[in-house]
Amino acid sequence: MTGASGPSAPAGAAGNGPRFGAAEVLLALSVVVLVVVVAIPVLLIFWTALVVDGSPNVKEVLAILRKPDTYEALRNSVVIAAGVTFFSTIIGVFFAWLVSRTDLPFKETMKLLFLVPFMLPSFIGALAWKMLLSPRSGFVNKALAGAFGLDGPVFDIYSLGGIIAVETMYLFPFVFIQVSGALERMDPTLEESARISGAGLLTITRRITLPLMLPSIAAGALLVALYSLSHFGVPAILGTEVGIYNIPTKIYEKIHQSGGSFTAIRTGTILSSILVVAAGVILWAQSLLLKAGRFQVISGKSMRPMVLKLRGLKVPLLILSILYILVTVVLPTVTIVLVGTLKTYGVSFTLSNMSLDNLKYILFDWKMTRDAIWNSFYLSLGAAFVTMLVGTLISYVIVKMKVRGKFLLEFLGVLPFSVPGTVIALGVILMWSGKFGVNLYNTAWIIFVAYVARYMAFSLKSNSAALEQVHDSLEEAARASGATHWQALRDIVIPLIKPGMVAAFFLIFLPALRELTTSVLLYGPTTRTIGVAIYTLNEDGETVYAATLATVALAIIVVGQVVIKRITRTTVPGDQA
Amino acid sequence: MKRKNAVVRGSIIGMALAVAGVAGLAGAANGAEKLMVYTSMKESLIGKLRDEFQKRHPEIAFDYYSAGAGKLMAKVAAERQSGRMTVDVLWHSEVPDFYALKRDGMLEKYVSPEAQNVRSPVKDPDGFFTPARLGTLGIAYNTKKVAVPPKSWPDLLDARFRNGLGIANPALSGTSFVSVSLLVNTFGWDYIQKLRRNGALVGQGSGQVVDDTASGDLLVTLAPDYIAVEKIRKGANLGLAFPKEMLVIPSPVAIVKGTPNRKAAEKFIDFLLSKDGQTIIASTGTLPIRSDVALPKELGLASTEEAVGRAMKLDYLKTMAEKEAILEKFDAIMKAK
Repeated sequence: MTGASGPSAPAGAAGNGPRFGAAEVLLALSVVVLVVVVAIPVLLIFWTALVVDGSPNVKEVLAILRKPDTYEALRNSVVIAAGVTFFSTIIGVFFAWLVSRTDLPFKETMKLLFLVPFMLPSFIGALAWKMLLSPRSGFVNKALAGAFGLDGPVFDIYSLGGIIAVETMYLFPFVFIQVSGALERMDPTLEESARISGAGLLTITRRITLPLMLPSIAAGALLVALYSLSHFGVPAILGTEVGIYNIPTKIYEKIHQSGGSFTAIRTGTILSSILVVAAGVILWAQSLLLKAGRFQVISGKSMRPMVLKLRGLKVPLLILSILYILVTVVLPTVTIVLVGTLKTYGVSFTLSNMSLDNLKYILFDWKMTRDAIWNSFYLSLGAAFVTMLVGTLISYVIVKMKVRGKFLLEFLGVLPFSVPGTVIALGVILMWSGKFGVNLYNTAWIIFVAYVARYMAFSLKSNSAALEQVHDSLEEAARASGATHWQALRDIVIPLIKPGMVAAFFLIFLPALRELTTSVLLYGPTTRTIGVAIYTLNEDGETVYAATLATVALAIIVVGQVVIKRITRTTVPGDQA
Repeated sequence: MKRKNAVVRGSIIGMALAVAGVAGLAGAANGAEKLMVYTSMKESLIGKLRDEFQKRHPEIAFDYYSAGAGKLMAKVAAERQSGRMTVDVLWHSEVPDFYALKRDGMLEKYVSPEAQNVRSPVKDPDGFFTPARLGTLGIAYNTKKVAVPPKSWPDLLDARFRNGLGIANPALSGTSFVSVSLLVNTFGWDYIQKLRRNGALVGQGSGQVVDDTASGDLLVTLAPDYIAVEKIRKGANLGLAFPKEMLVIPSPVAIVKGTPNRKAAEKFIDFLLSKDGQTIIASTGTLPIRSDVALPKELGLASTEEAVGRAMKLDYLKTMAEKEAILEKFDAIMKAK
């Protein structure tokens, strides 16, 4: 690959130290990892889609593209992604601004609370909203119909609007995390000087804050767009029953329709190639957007940002925030927990119908669910750790080194994220099923490899965003003072981007813990993940067990969050002192 | 050096994970005789069989993978592609698949000594697969919302079931696919079209539509007997009705070609077809394939003999050949407005 050859170090430091030190070796290694884990499986998908027996197969590709249900699935995918991105960006930026730049009461608590929807797997959310808002039996619909004497349902969650609403609820933290982090790291002197020069709040926001935040907003919105474009869980739970398919659910259905024949797998890869192209367009648009202005806003010093006084709006905005959390997090969670205690689905919530028997069964008696919990745990931790480290190194090449063709590297890194997990799964199967000497099929390792491929984009985005804000001068100063490349990395760059690395870890670990789309095609008989177990339980009509396991998953996620928070909290002051 | 500590700590966590991961992977590989059964039977049925089978054969490390027939076949196909087969025994309700597997030389021949007792509308004369259960599908209805249970298939076209009937996705569920084929064969595509005009919906797996009916989201659905029975026993608001023409679907069991665990597979099939095995199957509320095993009376299910007599007929070989076409036609009808 182009990135591996000739690491052209920052100017003025090339003469120091050995040319192939630890840093260079690690860089080369991570590029190799990216190519093997990410690039080749994706290329295999294209190859499988377009080439049959060594010659291009344009006819079949065109036949698939001409089918009306393909159009419809593609249109639904675009509508869902556009809607979710739009609303997630508005909600994410608004709440990020609220908790970082205003004197909202209980700011720190609210900040943590806004991360909770991120911890709540969206397909568990969909499951809960299905229980709450399904047309006939939804608890909310029933209550509203009873209260107002209505005949028909008030809300119908089985609709495009329902899918967009549910995805937005749980995806907006992608924007929130990016923007609130950037708002806190931003050098406040810029805003202060504007204010001293007589600019009003609107002008400051429009001319200073927003432009500075644009890379972070775009990064968050991009994550949301790519994620919802290729999202499987919510449309699978809320759409398929009424014939609303997006591309991933269409692929999932196609592949099962022909008893898993290779033709069906190829059809799936053709469909997903459409998504890959769409993702390419999004990435291209983003690069245009960002080319307009790159800002390095971390000056190496840390300062307290300016805070806006909300005055009379303080309480209403606090109530709005709390209400948002109550409706999007507490209500679905309580629903899931309560349903998880029921003897069987559909009976009323009376004490005689509720018990902890399901919980006991799931945790101790049922091997399938026990396996699932353990599998998810070590797979997501391992994948998050490895992906975070490799992603840091690759981001460094992309952001800080002047190498040609690095857009290609970036694209390859983001590519698997833009392809539905279903198809990553196919790519990984094509790659790791013995054709190239290694057969991981039906083992946990194949899921691990897929996770690394799938979440590389998170790691790259988060690390690049952090690296972009570290001014080159800091590293150059270190190199000029005689530090080796590795020393400059270790003592200057890594400490500064560590929040970004930790963010990357979170961004991978938490979604991986609940991952569904990829694992759903890769899991073997003993390698179900929590997401797969919950989804298949729901699909099998074991709604109460699905809810019980979802409760367990939520508990594990909360505990994991607290533990990780404790670890990072002990390290964060070390950076800022 | 606080910042170094974090890196060190991270590395330790990473290494611990790697060790745990390897240990987890290695742990699964122990046990002399192994058996992996891919089945569409739900936990409530296969779990009980597992327990009893393990009591009799503690030397076999028995495990199973339970999913809809569509998923199982996708898994098997992917395993064939990868050349790493995990499945030893296949047991589900999509009968045409077994004819296809037999045709493709994917199955081992095995005639169990118990096979002579099998009573079923479908039998493979060459002994590549043997029905191990007679699944019946009834019309499950929500007892709170449906005062008068449907008695016949045309009843489902009533306005009172408008937008209230759900059918499991036949691409995912073998019982659903065979049910649709049986209904089409008996009443014609016209019947499916009329169901759709009455607002029939396609759900996910064959169990999910039952839960949707229990919750009241659906009013009626086609329900596999033992799935509905389990929920009724737990107190769900469900009833189960069987029209005169019955949906009776045998679930064949077969040994996958080239399995290294053939001995264990044979032991499992023998157990499954034995009186003990069939008694367990009957206790969950599905029909045994032996006439010398009695059903629990309180369930009100038809006996094996009676069900076979009332069963709708189907040419499974023809259905196998037309499978994709049937799925596509059904799909097109159900997606029409």
